[in-house]
Amino acid sequence: MRREMCFINMSKESQMRAAINQKLIEMGERERLKELLRAKLIECGWRDQLKALCKEVIKEKGIENVTVEDLVAGVTPKGRALVPDSVKKELLQRIRAFLAQHST
Amino acid sequence: MKMEDVSLSSMDNSKMEGFAQEILSDLVEDACLGLCFEVHRAVKQGYFFMDDTDQESMKDFEIVDQPGVDIFGQVYNQWKNKECVCPNCSRSIAASRFAPHLEKCLGMGRNSSRIANRRIASGNNTNKSESDQEDNDDVNDNDWSYGAEKKAKKRKSDKNPNSPRRSKSMKHKND
Repeated sequence: MRREMCFINMSKESQMRAAINQKLIEMGERERLKELLRAKLIECGWRDQLKALCKEVIKEKGIENVTVEDLVAGVTPKGRALVPDSVKKELLQRIRAFLAQHST
Repeated sequence: MKMEDVSLSSMDNSKMEGFAQEILSDLVEDACLGLCFEVHRAVKQGYFFMDDTDQESMKDFEIVDQPGVDIFGQVYNQWKNKECVCPNCSRSIAASRFAPHLEKCLGMGRNSSRIANRRIASGNNTNKSESDQEDNDDVNDNDWSYGAEKKAKKRKSDKNPNSPRRSKSMKHKND
């Protein structure tokens, strides 16, 4: 049961991307990539680093008042920067392989 | 619209690379958000700061790394060479042999009753006191109320190769 995609206003490129994204999800590859990333990030201590950053936000705002938005705003930018290059590399490899396999 | 109409030529390599980066970026963002949600929940449910203790307590329970001592700081082979006096036969026994010796000496414990049963089964009719003490053992060993009609039944069923006791001793032989 394929969900029909509306191609009317999309360029060929956007269609392409949309199609691949859909494949990524439907074939379970996105979930697998998520799990892989999660495992790698725990392994390399990224998770603990970010938890420490969260602690600072919490101490600043107070346990009662801190919201998800506070944490997200306070932590996500640094979080992106702190991902090790090796982890990025490995994930990119897998993504590229998937794209190469499924973009025709 | 069919997939065949959209081919690789519409996406060259740099665009592919950009797309891959975008996917990675999404995944990283997912990871960050996931963490924030987890932390937020932990904070609101009160278990986020659970593993933070004050410095002093941390020092009290620090792992010990010295020779001859375990990680709690206790000396662990202190009793290796000590000798104990058996309250039953008044002999001096080495500490590591004390428990098995007590088992046999007092006639309690699984092995001693098995040895006794074997002796009985092979025709020896001595040691009435030993079979009295074996009662406790049977109650402990068997889950069902086998222990109720023990004495008469036990001797007979020992000769029975299907008795639970027999299969139990086979089981423990492999421990």
